Amino acid sequence: MESVGNLAMAGAVWETDLLEDTSVQRLILEQYDREQLSLRRYVAFLGIDPETAFEIVQECFLKLQEHLLARGDRTNLRAWLYRVAHNLARNSQSAFRSSRTDFLADVTLAGDPPARSNSAEQDLLARERLDLMNSAIQALSPAQRDCLVLRSQGLKYREIADVLNLSTSTVGENIQRGLEKLKELL
Amino acid sequence: MNTPDHLTNDLLIRALDDELTPEEAEVIDPHLRVCEACKGRSAEFRFLSGKIESLVATAAGPAAAQRQALAHKLETQARSSLARRSSRLALGFGWTMALAASLALMAVLLPRWIHPVKPAGNTVAQVQSGMFEVDGENFILLPYSNPDLSTAAPHIVQMQVPVGSLAAAGITFEPVSNGAQGMDRSVLADVLFGMDGQPLGVHVVSLD
Repeated sequence: MESVGNLAMAGAVWETDLLEDTSVQRLILEQYDREQLSLRRYVAFLGIDPETAFEIVQECFLKLQEHLLARGDRTNLRAWLYRVAHNLARNSQSAFRSSRTDFLADVTLAGDPPARSNSAEQDLLARERLDLMNSAIQALSPAQRDCLVLRSQGLKYREIADVLNLSTSTVGENIQRGLEKLKELL
Repeated sequence: MNTPDHLTNDLLIRALDDELTPEEAEVIDPHLRVCEACKGRSAEFRFLSGKIESLVATAAGPAAAQRQALAHKLETQARSSLARRSSRLALGFGWTMALAASLALMAVLLPRWIHPVKPAGNTVAQVQSGMFEVDGENFILLPYSNPDLSTAAPHIVQMQVPVGSLAAAGITFEPVSNGAQGMDRSVLADVLFGMDGQPLGVHVVSLD
């Protein structure tokens, strides 16, 4: 008689799927822990209000799950997330363009309140410096600005190129020219 | 590569970003250590980069705990995706309802014994995806099980289940029995039924 110990269950399609789903969710939450703050900053910097930025970032990770469950490419998920975030933010801007004319007008207003230990004068100076930087960044071309902001979130040139659909050398040029221009303006 | 008198902005910035080729780094890094002019320009670019980072950091607003909300949304989305995939499988192979019906019928006609699962005492516990534990016994989740169905008061029926039915449901045995004869055989299994009378899981006990 064959013993129960010789039996091995195999080929249960749904079981494999469930295990894979769990592993995908774990991977996504790990990515979320690593990337959500940078992604949110990036989306908010594109002119999206903080609450919508939260929603866009969550939408990115839901789309990532769909992508992974459909056995999409897993190489460079960080660039994939930023590309989706970039597109969602741009779509959101298109939808509300009529009510939002100034690209970066609300960036500083959406920021963290200054630390309580700062005096009102220091706060004012900090705000002025941020506004000055904001104005200088607004003077850059959109490609220079996008490259510099993605770079500020730690993306490599190759990843920025993937997000913005540019060549790596063009990313390098945009970063260089953007920084040179900022140096002149500030 | 020859040592340059002074580095270009492109090289200085790529050095800051760790984007130099190994050949470039071999020349640039030693130069940066000794050339004050290039060090100063590099510091300016670093300072500017820091200011951009600070500006972008202010854009997001205060952090909020949204991870739990995302985890819940992911779970809901995955369940719905799995249900769609299972339903496609069912349509493709046509075994789902047949197995469910046969198990339900056998539960009425052929029970060796039935025992209700104690509702209290946390006897029902999810141990891993695709498997769950009831009364210390591991069950394989059947594909048509309703994931939202409470398992608070299920019952277990021990019965002979045809190997062919289990194979049709994707549960196969190794070593594989010899051909059609093997498929005609039955195995003794505990089948866990939910409150709606549908089988939730199966645990093979023996081949007798």
